[in-house]
Amino acid sequence: MNHKDLESQSNASTKIPILWIILGALGMFLAHYLVFIYAPMETTMRAAQRIFYFHLPSAWLCYIGFIMCAGWSLRYLMTQNPKHDALALASAEVGLTFGVIVLTTGPLWARAAWGVWWKWEPRLTTMAILFLIFTCYWVIRSFGGDNAGVRRFGAVLAVLGAPNIFFVHVAVTRWRGDHPNNIGLEPEMRVVLYSCLLIFIILFSLLVRLRYRVHTEERTVSALSRRLSRIGG
Amino acid sequence: MSAQFWPCFKAILKKDLKIELRSKETLATVSLFGVVLTFLFAFGFMGDPATNLAVAPGVLWAALLFTGSLSVGRTFAREQENSAFTALALSPAPRSAILAAKVLVNIAVMLGVMLVITPLLAILMHIDLSTNLFALMSLITLSTVGFALVATPLAVMAVGARFPEVLLPMVVFPLVTPVMICGVRGSAALLGTSADLDYLAWTQMILAFDMMIGGGAFFLFDWMVSE
Repeated sequence: MNHKDLESQSNASTKIPILWIILGALGMFLAHYLVFIYAPMETTMRAAQRIFYFHLPSAWLCYIGFIMCAGWSLRYLMTQNPKHDALALASAEVGLTFGVIVLTTGPLWARAAWGVWWKWEPRLTTMAILFLIFTCYWVIRSFGGDNAGVRRFGAVLAVLGAPNIFFVHVAVTRWRGDHPNNIGLEPEMRVVLYSCLLIFIILFSLLVRLRYRVHTEERTVSALSRRLSRIGG
Repeated sequence: MSAQFWPCFKAILKKDLKIELRSKETLATVSLFGVVLTFLFAFGFMGDPATNLAVAPGVLWAALLFTGSLSVGRTFAREQENSAFTALALSPAPRSAILAAKVLVNIAVMLGVMLVITPLLAILMHIDLSTNLFALMSLITLSTVGFALVATPLAVMAVGARFPEVLLPMVVFPLVTPVMICGVRGSAALLGTSADLDYLAWTQMILAFDMMIGGGAFFLFDWMVSE
């Protein structure tokens, strides 16, 4: 990588999206107001139902993060462009973050609704397995060192892991199934849900951008330090 | 598919099978590990006849996964000596031929191991497998194929990694969850301990998994070994 490449790459990613940060922060305040004050109390689940407004958007965005990771990984395998790899890693990390939200709020809700923390139920199990696969991806990328082999290994894992989830879902559905489906929502509840989704999308894209920025900067720094050691040595 | 596929495929397959049949190192060590594992499981889960029937499928498929990850981990170990793998990758042999041969060798070794473990488990846990032997064998074979298809390409990548013996099972086990679920439920249906679905439906699902993941692996393999 020559000097100009490095410079243009770092310029493209150094801009901090201030507007998005402000928008995201204000949005989070709004989300809390909507969830805890504006949304009407649900009759059977009472307060525990409010978990749902964070749970569902997080679950969707977690899936989107993993799908994005698989897509960018496939592109990385085809093009060997490090930018695609950085994007895949950033999407996986943010997807995992939302996955943690899902797997924390899910059991809390399950405890209130079903009386147990965990139930062997298709969507729960699918999410857990998907989360495991991408945790492995993240562990390999974090501890495997930064070389082309590890990047390719991660990319293949992501590409094989994402469609695999379809089979996990079908298998577990046939095994046992009972997840709340098509819950009837009041109009106000719908407003809260979709506002939360929008706010979480802002948060998601902001986080992916920031992580992408970190990864490209890291790569620029290591490329520069390699050059420096070459000059010095 | 290039014209070189079949000659290369046959050459690599013949080489690997010949080495394995002469040395028997993978088959012997992994089978022995499987036997030890089966005894441990039997000590751990032995109970009344109904309990034995209920836990046997889980034990069998757990044994398949553990022994499978060991034998697949050995796939490219031999080639690492003297950098033979680099030579193989640099040769004009189509990558898909290398992968196909390796997958087939792994399937053969894993089936050999299962041929030792399955009867032993039946004897130790007092289970009669003779009534549905063919159905059970097809279920085991398809699961083995699925496992080998997922694990073999990943074993290539683990060759140069820093901790391959942990890396491979860690990555492969979550990926083969569908095989585990379908295999266990299918054999439970065969043994009559589960009435949720016919074993045929589970067998079909494993077949679908094999086809999809196998297609994906062959599609991706060219890019995996690019150096």
